[in-house]
Amino acid sequence: MLNLLKIEWLKIKNYRAFIVISIFVVLGVVTTNYIVYSVNKNIIGNMNTGGLVSKFSLYDFDHTWQTTSYATGFLLILPALLIIILVTNEFTFKTNRQNIIDGWSREEFIQVKLAMALIIAVISTILVFLTALLFALFSDSSFALTGISHVGYFFLKALSYNLLAVLVSVWIRRTGFAIGLYFIYLGAENIISQLLDVWSIKLRSDGVADLGSMGDYLPMNASDGLLTFPDNAIKSIAKSSLPTDYTWIVVSLTIIYIILFYWLSRRRIITTDL
Amino acid sequence: MAILSVDNLSKNYGPIKALKNVSFSVPAGTVYGILGPNGSGKTTLLGIVMDVLKASGGGYTLFDEAPTAHHRKQIGTLLETPNFYHYLSAVENLKIAAAIKGRGAEDIDRVLQIVNLAHRKTSKFSTYSLGMKQRLAIGAALLGNPEVLVFDEPTNGLDPVGIAEIRELIKKLSQSGKTIIMASHLLDEVEKVCTHVAILKQGTLITDGNVDEILVNEDVVELNAADLQQLKQVMQQMPGQTRVDLSDKFVQAFFPSGAADLAAVNQFCFSKGVVLSQLQLRKKSLESKFFELTN
Repeated sequence: MLNLLKIEWLKIKNYRAFIVISIFVVLGVVTTNYIVYSVNKNIIGNMNTGGLVSKFSLYDFDHTWQTTSYATGFLLILPALLIIILVTNEFTFKTNRQNIIDGWSREEFIQVKLAMALIIAVISTILVFLTALLFALFSDSSFALTGISHVGYFFLKALSYNLLAVLVSVWIRRTGFAIGLYFIYLGAENIISQLLDVWSIKLRSDGVADLGSMGDYLPMNASDGLLTFPDNAIKSIAKSSLPTDYTWIVVSLTIIYIILFYWLSRRRIITTDL
Repeated sequence: MAILSVDNLSKNYGPIKALKNVSFSVPAGTVYGILGPNGSGKTTLLGIVMDVLKASGGGYTLFDEAPTAHHRKQIGTLLETPNFYHYLSAVENLKIAAAIKGRGAEDIDRVLQIVNLAHRKTSKFSTYSLGMKQRLAIGAALLGNPEVLVFDEPTNGLDPVGIAEIRELIKKLSQSGKTIIMASHLLDEVEKVCTHVAILKQGTLITDGNVDEILVNEDVVELNAADLQQLKQVMQQMPGQTRVDLSDKFVQAFFPSGAADLAAVNQFCFSKGVVLSQLQLRKKSLESKFFELTN
């Protein structure tokens, strides 16, 4: 696999889109978190909330892992975009055929793409870890790993986003259509998810059943639902009327969806004409 | 040893049958031409052999073994179009190809020399002309000096000088003992470089074997006399002829290329009591042979 990854690196190291998107991601993570940090400190911090909202620093060690994971989660479409471009490029240039002709097996071709999706998810997660650490070091709190599980959830979310990008790319093959479909799917699933959430609340308030937030059971919303903004007082009050939080179900579903994306992508490349 | 053996290979694209039970075998050391008009299934056939397409039926072997990716590493292939990363230079593209084949980068300069691209080796692939792209693809196939080469329409997009160069290259490679499988719709190209040929028409293998036997040039003698039936019978007795056809206006007698002697024909007919009113030699062109085979 190391040898395959070296070849993959030859393909992308001089590719401008790769370099540009990578820079965007790094700058984006730091900037996004700085904006959240700054808004919390300078606006919320100076607001007179009459004691209704408990004020706390989002980036002290008790909250930084959760805040950074949540805020950075919105940027995961950038690595996904990069993956769609890299995978559909192979189809555009017909280099998917050439790689096989030159002596890769179909298995090797798809496994290295899936490995890239994994590596990009790992790098994104490391970036979140470092950013969270950096911001917390500037707070006055002492080191703690409270809520570090959110960094793990971020990794699952990154992997979901990246593998869906691979799946869409190997099915659609055309760069523009693949990117379009990816975003349309994310949007459509969000709408359905919100309708399901409203239904969940109704079921609970009617005393019919408490099935948790059903919107979180959809493929991309499962990993989205794992990442939440740190609770404040108002949110805590609202929580009592929301459906039960079945984190373990959502984590399991996220992992099942990841396996499904992996399996479908692989199957597509192994069994069809390239 | 057979480099490639194709056994009852079929391929359907929906209702369209692109290949119908094609079987043939490529012996080692031959230059094997796969000939056929556009859409006859040449590229489909090679695509299946290279595992970029899935066969609908039948199978094939490479080097007398079940085909694997490892076998493809030992074959230099140009299939249909030059496929390279547009944003990378020739050298960067060839580095990727060499790495996939499991060979070092040291051969890159040599192949770029052969295909006359050394002076543009650091230019991006997207800046290449059609002919240069084709030459780079041929260069990529030559990487690592493989014993077997597969060329699908190798002279596509090349200028006359380029075409002549590639023909020379193929001949040279063949003389050094390499096996070359070449698909083409250019008859003249196949005739000039191939030792063996398989002819495809609409997915069906029409014939295969030694090129001298299949694409044989024939001399055709057109004759006319008062009694065409009698003329035909007489000509059938003539030594040296391979076939005699009767049409409504004349009789055609076929001879091996260069073997028709009109004076001898005239004398033979006269001695058998037939007076010829017409006697003419027509060279049968390869083209008409090809049309005959594929129509």
